[in-house]
Amino acid sequence: MSAGVTSVRRLITSNALSMFGLVTVSFFLILTVGQVVSSGRILPYNPYQPNFLQSNASPSIAHLFGTDLLGRDMLSWIITALPTDIGIPLFTVVVSATIGIVLGTLAAFFRGWLDEFIMRLTDMFMAFPQMIMSLAIAATLGPSLVNVTISLIVVWWPPYVRLVRGAVLEVAAEDFVSISKALNSSFFYIVRKDAIPNVLPSVLVYATTDVGTALLTLSTLGFLNVGIPPASPELGMMVSNVGYNFYLYPYQIVIPAVFVMVIVAGFSFLGEGIRESLDVRLRPHILIRNKTVEEYEAAERHKSGPI
Amino acid sequence: MVSLRDFLPYLGRRIIGAFVVLIGVALIIFFISHILSPDPAHLWAGARASKSTIAQVAALYHLNQPWYVQLYYFLKSYATGNFGTDPQTGRSILSELAFYFPNTLELVITCMILIVALGVGLGYISGMRFGSNTDKAIRIFYLSCWSSPYYLGGLLAVLVFSSYIPLFPSSGMTSQTIGPITSITGIYVLDALLQLNGQAFLSGLYHLILPATVLALLEFGIIARIMRSSILDTRWSTHVKAARAKGLEEGEVRRNHILRNALIDTNTMIAVTFGFLLSGTIVIEEIFAWPGMGYFTYKAIVSVNYPVLIPCVLVFTLGVVVANFAADVFYSLLDPRIALGEGGGSES
Repeated sequence: MSAGVTSVRRLITSNALSMFGLVTVSFFLILTVGQVVSSGRILPYNPYQPNFLQSNASPSIAHLFGTDLLGRDMLSWIITALPTDIGIPLFTVVVSATIGIVLGTLAAFFRGWLDEFIMRLTDMFMAFPQMIMSLAIAATLGPSLVNVTISLIVVWWPPYVRLVRGAVLEVAAEDFVSISKALNSSFFYIVRKDAIPNVLPSVLVYATTDVGTALLTLSTLGFLNVGIPPASPELGMMVSNVGYNFYLYPYQIVIPAVFVMVIVAGFSFLGEGIRESLDVRLRPHILIRNKTVEEYEAAERHKSGPI
Repeated sequence: MVSLRDFLPYLGRRIIGAFVVLIGVALIIFFISHILSPDPAHLWAGARASKSTIAQVAALYHLNQPWYVQLYYFLKSYATGNFGTDPQTGRSILSELAFYFPNTLELVITCMILIVALGVGLGYISGMRFGSNTDKAIRIFYLSCWSSPYYLGGLLAVLVFSSYIPLFPSSGMTSQTIGPITSITGIYVLDALLQLNGQAFLSGLYHLILPATVLALLEFGIIARIMRSSILDTRWSTHVKAARAKGLEEGEVRRNHILRNALIDTNTMIAVTFGFLLSGTIVIEEIFAWPGMGYFTYKAIVSVNYPVLIPCVLVFTLGVVVANFAADVFYSLLDPRIALGEGGGSES
């Protein structure tokens, strides 16, 4: 296990893209945790305090990312928004992955009518227009962060069921599972010892990238002013509050939007990096960077000598 | 290959499947709109409705009845093709859909052409130059585009290309000075072309460029990614080695043995993207004031106008189902080994 972890770590650090993802994700996670733990004491200014003498100030040393129409410090406001903008997507993805693992495993192990029922239900939710459904649910339930999370989870779980079911079906066909069954192992034992460990890597890869996608949807809900309570710290809502001010002070929309982009990119680069690291076929090509495959094959031939 | 004999039963099965999905989606959205909301009559009538209006709305949509009676009326009116009238405009919802849907289709089809060109092209180059600096640059480009929120792309495009450098119009589908044209298909550019109205055609195209390009740039990443990984899957496989070994020209190997095989997987994703885009244009339509389905649906969502929202969701779902079906048909056309309904994994 530890050898596997080491080689995955080596593969991540050997790839600039996934390294960028790792650094970005860690940075923002630490910042979020810091903000929550210190309950706002790490902020340079009080984000809720308007200061009309300083309104629409351009980025400077005093205000790193400038101030908004009300003279509130943009950097402080962005950091205040991080627990919402990273916490909700993380929670959504964790819950969806859990639902996916439970339903997917049940469907793959028991097959028959249960499988049919679960997969029909999944297909139905998959055919949903994702953004529209979360908008509709959030609008129906009324603006609150809990309702937004619910509206995201409702449309977020189906791909995980498909992913897990496919992976478990593959595992279930393996000999070690039939042997385990023959040895009269309980269902939970097989799931815990055989299914979950084999399914987890692909779920993890998908989920990593998916946190970014969930953030995109969440901040779009904020931008469209649906679901997120008015005047609460959220990056998409921050952009939408700028309104026509953006023709005069474009940095007020560009900075928060670029923050969203960097966080999403961080998660997707990391996910992409882990995926390639786990892909056995690509492994040699990643480990020797900046070499074409022909060069690599030539080097390998040279190493092993003529057959 | 697809023969008509295999195709018709398959089509029948898929239509039944689609029907089941649509009924399911309708039931779920019925549940959300009628049961999940604490006071549907109040929501439907609007925030400032008087008591008598609320009572009127409740009576009109049977909101005071138990839920199974409501479900009966709901299914009955939809089964007879009666989608009702829009409580806000008083027009029939079907005619409103017929106006808004082609506008979105115009945007989405133009966008898809750009997405396929960009995604397949860049993904191919990236995969064929795996590990090189070109590959890295392309990957950074498509991953950053894909990571951008819609509002960043849309607002930046408006700011740069219609405010700083006034190249393109920032809103609308056509110029105000051009009068309305007769609607044949509903798709503005196509109508103008069919009526040989050069001025309207050019104006329509001119208004289309900016939103379609922005949407394409924001969405092509997923196609490029799939294309790149399919290229990586095929380019070192044994059949490509065999093709080279038997002395085929490099160009032919790339065209017929690598590109064609890589397109099989990409094609599914193209269809999925198309289905997704139909409902994914909402932010771009808001920013560019494009009178399409996204704009229409958003208006319905914000005012919690369920009589309009439900048919909209059904149209989007139908779009996804049709796109998935097209993907499976293309799948078996591209890959003769796969019989209809076996491949793609987009069965629904």
